[in-house]
Order: sequence, then structure tokens, then C-alpha cells
Amino acid sequence: MNTATKDLLYKMADDAFIIGHRNSEWTGIGPMLEEDLAFSSMAQDKIGHAWALYKILNEQFGEADADVLGFQRKANDFKCCQFVELPIGEYDFSLVRHFLFDHAEYLRYEALSESSFEPLALLAKKIKSEIKYHTMHADTLLRQLANGSEEAKARIQNALNYSWHFALGIFEESSAENELISNKVFIGEDALKSQWIEKVSSIIDAAGLKVPVTENTKIILGGRKGTHSEYLQPLLTEMTEVLASDPNAEW
Amino acid sequence: METNKSLDPRVQRLNIGAQNGEANIETHLVTWEVFHQEKKGKQAVHVGIVHASSPELALVYAKEVYGRRGKTTNLWVVKTSDIFTFTPEDEDVFNTAPEKLYREAGYYKVRDRIEAFQKRNKETA
Amino acid sequence: MYGNAYISPEEAKQMQSQQDDPKQLALFEARVAKGEKVEPGDWMPTDYRKQLIRMIEQHAHSEIVGALPEGTWITRAPNFRRKLALIAKVQDEIGHGQLLYSAAETLGKTREQMLADLLSGKSKYSNVFNYPAKTWADIAVIGFLVDGAAIVNQVINSKGSYGPYCRALERICYEESFHLKQGHDNFVYLATGTPQQRNMLQEALNRWYRPLLHFFGPSDKASQHSEKLMKWRVKLASNDDMRNQFLDQYVPKILELDLTLPDPNLKKNDAGIWEFSDPDWDEFKRVINGDGPCNAERLAVRRYAEEAGRWVRNALMRKEEKYVVPLA
Repeated sequence: MNTATKDLLYKMADDAFIIGHRNSEWTGIGPMLEEDLAFSSMAQDKIGHAWALYKILNEQFGEADADVLGFQRKANDFKCCQFVELPIGEYDFSLVRHFLFDHAEYLRYEALSESSFEPLALLAKKIKSEIKYHTMHADTLLRQLANGSEEAKARIQNALNYSWHFALGIFEESSAENELISNKVFIGEDALKSQWIEKVSSIIDAAGLKVPVTENTKIILGGRKGTHSEYLQPLLTEMTEVLASDPNAEW
Repeated sequence: METNKSLDPRVQRLNIGAQNGEANIETHLVTWEVFHQEKKGKQAVHVGIVHASSPELALVYAKEVYGRRGKTTNLWVVKTSDIFTFTPEDEDVFNTAPEKLYREAGYYKVRDRIEAFQKRNKETA
Repeated sequence: MYGNAYISPEEAKQMQSQQDDPKQLALFEARVAKGEKVEPGDWMPTDYRKQLIRMIEQHAHSEIVGALPEGTWITRAPNFRRKLALIAKVQDEIGHGQLLYSAAETLGKTREQMLADLLSGKSKYSNVFNYPAKTWADIAVIGFLVDGAAIVNQVINSKGSYGPYCRALERICYEESFHLKQGHDNFVYLATGTPQQRNMLQEALNRWYRPLLHFFGPSDKASQHSEKLMKWRVKLASNDDMRNQFLDQYVPKILELDLTLPDPNLKKNDAGIWEFSDPDWDEFKRVINGDGPCNAERLAVRRYAEEAGRWVRNALMRKEEKYVVPLA
């Protein structure tokens, strides 16, 4: 059981950490001041969620300290999906990734607030309210942009089409999926995926955009097993540059 | 542009070079006046503005601009053009209000009178 | 974060030529002398409005450009604590920009126009942000000392006469106290760390010493425009006084960590005034006029942000809505 729960915590923490890192890159160079602030806060929230999850791994399962888990593991030890690794691109992509990813997060934490694994259930209840704001932000802006100009609408649609099969990779199943479900730790990726498709489809529809067609063979998998895009290793190398310059130091 | 020499890896990744650098000054976003309520039972207080396209987005932005620290229980936003105020030239209509003491609690002092009354009563008793 | 507003001699000369109704002016000056605040709709001297716009706008530009040197290390902060603190800190600079542009907008200049003037070079920002953040230790020096200097300036300016600017500054000062604390924390960790960390910090200090002396601007005690701005409570202390207050507060905090400053003449004299070698004011002028190590990059990045974000802003414009100057 522990292995399955640990695996769940790792992939959630790694997702939050890497997307938080990516989204923090916009801080100071966003499309307008108010948006810059909001996007940065959400990036901070994500990094905070990762920190809290790594702490559970440390405190409940005797894994290394959170800073070690975040900053000193090798790329193939990371269990994040490839979607979160992609560079920030232009704002349309970053916004659409945030929209797709955060709806998955909200539903995941909502389910986990009922988890039989209590430390996670407690954390989920807290995190859920933060992610509610993330989805509120994403939905509001997506709707306004899709109805704001032809250019914006086309950009958002293209970003949706590009992101869709990456986003479906969020729900890549682990080998211990059934164990998590039968022990009521988590409802499982498949159930989550159905909820997510329903939720994001209704918002995409209402915004006057087209829900991309799912082709199962095109879903980008591998992240949960440690297989990553070409972007993760450079991201980690950059992120740990200061730390690596004097590994014995306290920072 | 020499920005590929930037020390900032983020800047190195940006596609800098083609920008002509002219800002669009012809159009503006609508501004919204933001009111912040710290906790239930307290008044909502004006704290500033945000730029946004709709009240919904204004609220979303106000939350981070004015509510990312400390306590907030709610926020209000009102489109700037929907707020009416006295013009500075008319602000003199308020000038004499503080002088109208009969509206102030502190104007009514009866303790002396009561004491004098009691003293008188005692003397005549 | 902020550096002192810089007024070129040409601008100062122009300032003395503005004519206002003497009766209105006398009333205004009497109000300000009593310590009353001025609000957006009030009558104000032409130069008062002009100088405030210029000053608040420069301050706002300094915030959003000031986000860039520290942003240099945003993806490389070495642990959770530092990473979150740095992102939050850089975010605050953008937030301060938002508050300050809003305050300036109440005087009748739109945010878009101010940003256009930044990009065209017509309007300036603090010189200190034209220097690079070469190593992680620069982040500690900026967070502790540049923010420390900014606080000296902003606390003083928050006692000024223009209501919206004072309110923005009060909020900003509150947030700056977090910046200063996290900057000092980072600074102390490096100063008390490994020889390599100390070395990195000392080198960063040496690099920032001069820009920090430049921060408050050249001596302005004698100038006429300064007198007028002081009377109107737009400016509340001379550049020298603010610089001295900064040195007085911060030099001891550097020396207590056995670090040095690269100036053999730096010392407090018997009158309690800090003396230092000439920090090369020609360099200050060169940098402010565009010839600093990072001027080109800073503006290029702001231009990129402006252009890459334009489709977002355009989609959010409501053309049927008339622009109204914000209230307060």
C-alpha cells in the first residue's frame, strides 16, 4: 500500500513543482500588470503545494527532506506528466495549460479530501480552496479572450488543440491503481479523467470554442514512469545551478 | 538585439528581436474601483483600482492585487464611471457641518445642572 | 523598490516658467503648509501636477523594470524557502508598479501612455536597475540594500502632500518590510556560510557599492526647483540627507558581518555625517542617459512584454466604453 500511496504523492508533488516553476517564469513579463500578479500567485501556490506534498513523503514515509526531493533528484526519478515540462511558450499556451491542468487538480483534490489517507485528505481540503481560485481565473479569462477578438479566439483554440493530448497524459495510470481505489485512498485516474473531460468540455463549449477530438493513440504518456520530454533535464539543471555551485553550503 | 547574452535564462528563451516597441496608446482598459472588506462586521473600504474587461475579471484581479496579504472576507468592484462624487468646487457644502453642535452628543452637558439641583434640594430639605 | 526621481537641469529650468493664478496658488500653498492632503480633483499648480506625474511614473517604471534584475535568478533559487520568497518579492514589485501607475492615472495620464513613454525612452526609471545581477549573491544585496535604500526614500515620500501617492506608498512600505527581511536573511546566510558563499557576497557588495551611492541622486541641496518641490511637499528630504540616513542604518549591518565596502574614505565624521569618495557622477549621468550595462536589455524585455501581451489586452478592451480617470 505504501508504495502505491508514495507513487501518488510523488506524481502530484512533481506535477505541482514543475508547473509552478514553469509558470513562475512569467513573473515580471506577463501581458498586463494585474494578470502578471495573478499568474505569479498561482505559480507560488503550486510550488507551495509541492512543498507540502514532499513534506508528507518525508514525515509519513521517511523519504528525504522536501528540499532534497525537490532540488536533488535525477530527471528519471521525477513522476510528473510531460505536459507540465513544456516551456511556457506564448501566453495562449501557458493560459490554456493552466486551464486544463487546474481543472484536473481541482477535481483531484476534491476527490482526495475524502481520502482514507488522512494526511493527504487534510491537505486536500486546504489546497482545494486555492485551486478553486485558479480555475475561476482560468475560466474567466478564457471566456473573455475567446469572446474578445478573432485573434484571441484563434490563439486559444490552437493552444487547446496543441495541448489536448498532452493534458490527457495527466491521467496516465500507475501500476498500483486498483490498490489505491480499493483502499479508498483515491478514486483512480480513469474516474478522474471522465469527470475532467465533462467539466472542461462544458466550459470550452460555453466559451464558443471547440473541444478537441480525443485520439487515444496520440495521448502523451510516460511521465508517470520516469520517461520525460527533452525539456525536463535542462529545467532541472537550470533550477539547481546555485545549489550545485556549493553543495555543502546552507542557502 | 543582444539579449542572447542576457544573464537571465528566461530572457534567453524569449523570442526577443522583432518588437518595434511602440505601445498602443489609443485604447484603454476600463478601470474598476475596488473596495476591500477585511472581516465580517467591518465596512468595505476603497483601496484602489484594477484594469479589467468585466466585473468578473475585475474581481479575479482584485483578489490578487489587494487581497494577497492579510485578511480579506470579500471585495467589491464598481466601474469607475459608475461612481458619482461631489465636485471639488461643491465640497464647501460640508463646511459648516462640524459647527452645528446641536447634532453632537458632546453638546449636551447636564451633569452640572443635576448637581446644582441636588444641592438645592438638600439645602431646602 | 525605487530610486530617487532624477530631474535634469533642462527640466528644472522649464519648471520655473509655469504661471498659475496667484490667488489659487496662495490658497493651495496654505493648505499644503497646514499638512492637508491634495486629492485628484482639487485645484493644483500646473507644475505640481506635472512633477507628480513625472515622479510617480518614474517610480512605477522603476518597479516594473526593477523586477527584471531579480527575475534573473527566479528559476534558480536554491530551495523552497528562497524560491517562494524570490517569486513573491518580484511579484510585489509588479504589484507596486500597479499601485503607482494607478496613483499617477488619477492625475490624468493613462497607464498606456506612461508605458509608451517608458519604451520610447522619454520617461526614466531608477538607474540602479541598469546593473546586472551576476550571481545569486546579487539577489541578497539587492533584496537587503537596494530595498533598504528604497524604504528610506519611500517612507519619507509617504508623508507627502498628494493623497493617492501617499496611500500607495503606505501599502508599498508595508510590503517592503518583507522584502528587507528576506533580503537580510539571504544576506546573512551567505555572510555566515562557506568561504565560497562569503566570497560571492563580498564581490557582489563591491559591485553594488557605487550604484547604491548613486541611488539617491546627486547632491541637490542648492537647487531652486528642489526648494519649490519641498514647499509643495512633493519632495521631503534632500538627496544627501536620504543617502546619509541610508548609510547610517545599513553600513553597520554590513560591517558586523566582517564584510568590507570598497571605499577607504567611507567613514562617519565627528558631526555624524557619512563621508565617502566621489562615486563618479559622470557615470551616473551616462547610465541614466542610456549607456549602462543593462539599459538596452531592460527596455528590450519590457518591449517584448508589451508586444507579446498586446493580443491579450486588445481582446480585453471594450471600445464602447469611454475612458474615465480613476477616482483615487
